[in-house]
Amino acid sequence: MRRVIEFVVRFKNYITLCSLVVMSFAFMSVGSLSQLGGFRAVIVGSIGWIQSLFAWVPNPVALKSENTALRELNLQLSIESSRYRQAMVENGTLRNMLLLPTYTDDKLIAADVVGKTNTELRNYATINRGHDDGIKEGQAVVTDAGLVGTVIGTSAHYAILQILLNRDVRISARVYRSNVDGILTWEGEQFLSLKNVPRTYDVKVGDLVVTSNYSISYPTNVVIGRVSNVSDESNSLFRKITVTPSVNFSTMDQVFVIDKLPNKERVHLEDSITHRQLQKAMSR
Amino acid sequence: MAKYSERAPTMANPVFRGISYGVAAMLLSVVHVVFLRFIAVGSITPDLMLILVVWVALIEGQFTGTIAGFACGLLFDAISGDVIGTNALAKTIAGFVAGYFFKPGFGIAIIGNYRFLLIVTLAGLIHNLLYFTFYVRPMQVGFFEFVLTYGIATTLYTTVVAVFPMLVVNRR
Repeated sequence: MRRVIEFVVRFKNYITLCSLVVMSFAFMSVGSLSQLGGFRAVIVGSIGWIQSLFAWVPNPVALKSENTALRELNLQLSIESSRYRQAMVENGTLRNMLLLPTYTDDKLIAADVVGKTNTELRNYATINRGHDDGIKEGQAVVTDAGLVGTVIGTSAHYAILQILLNRDVRISARVYRSNVDGILTWEGEQFLSLKNVPRTYDVKVGDLVVTSNYSISYPTNVVIGRVSNVSDESNSLFRKITVTPSVNFSTMDQVFVIDKLPNKERVHLEDSITHRQLQKAMSR
Repeated sequence: MAKYSERAPTMANPVFRGISYGVAAMLLSVVHVVFLRFIAVGSITPDLMLILVVWVALIEGQFTGTIAGFACGLLFDAISGDVIGTNALAKTIAGFVAGYFFKPGFGIAIIGNYRFLLIVTLAGLIHNLLYFTFYVRPMQVGFFEFVLTYGIATTLYTTVVAVFPMLVVNRR
């Protein structure tokens, strides 16, 4: 017994290290913060409360960047406005001709961004609306510029958004001009990458990228960004497409949560089919 | 060290020191979620919690440094919304490595010296190498490319920020 105690005392540093490393791995196997139930709500609430206390502190760098972005947006909007007016007239005529049903816009819940966590490449934002305001996990979040991300956690008065610049984000996206589909992911810096687009497909720099109708998590045709670079890799069948997001995440201070959850029937159907196919494959 | 203890006799009490480290960790967490975005260069920010872990390891020793690394890492994971355990693992090992430089009675002397920066850099490199191993794994990007871009940049930024506690201790 004495020897054991002597051994433990002698190697306490290594024993502690090993124990804590094992504990860390155990925590990792539990999963992300969003899987920790009530603990998540406490953290979200606390962070939101602290961030809202200091939300008034201006960020001069962000303000300058926002100013530039707003000027660009203003110019872009004035051009688009005239196009839009023209398109509205054309659209009305075509709808009447085809007798298409008018679509209803989903309800939008406005929220202020009270905090951003973009340290060490974990990009989340905290908003001052929670489940008491009708915010639910899984809802998509947009700004006037385009898609921001999804709600991943809520407390009574706050919610945490997982923005597009996050390693866990996978979006079924479409190049608006040519209807080319792909999967949008983040690979660091301020850009997104459109994957699974064969080299023969038509994608050009400047093309608008929107959410695809294949996407369960996001509404269809929400602007994500524009293609900023297209290159063909020598040893790959696919193109390397870089997309610059339309939303300036560093200056984003107001967002709109779309009060719509993924269609449960569709999710259930797709899940059951996938499950059945998996079972078939395993039984073979 | 003797001079330091004479000036601040309460710091000689290990319980008081433990509480002060806990309070420092909580304050750094608040600074992390509220103010760090103001000094972010791109998405690179200094790891203040790592500096605290190295500080604890140099003052208290390897054993306490390792435990402090784990505790600070867990706190960091909780506030940052990342997978719980990734920072705990990286900071535990960073605290353990920093503890190798512990010399009883010379902790403050080391912190007030350029050696503190070297230890922060070493601990930061090991921390980021481990952290990005788990971070990059699910992504389709080159590990070394990512570590070179973000790991080294974060380490350097952390080292630059570590100059401030070094200078404060040095002036004392």
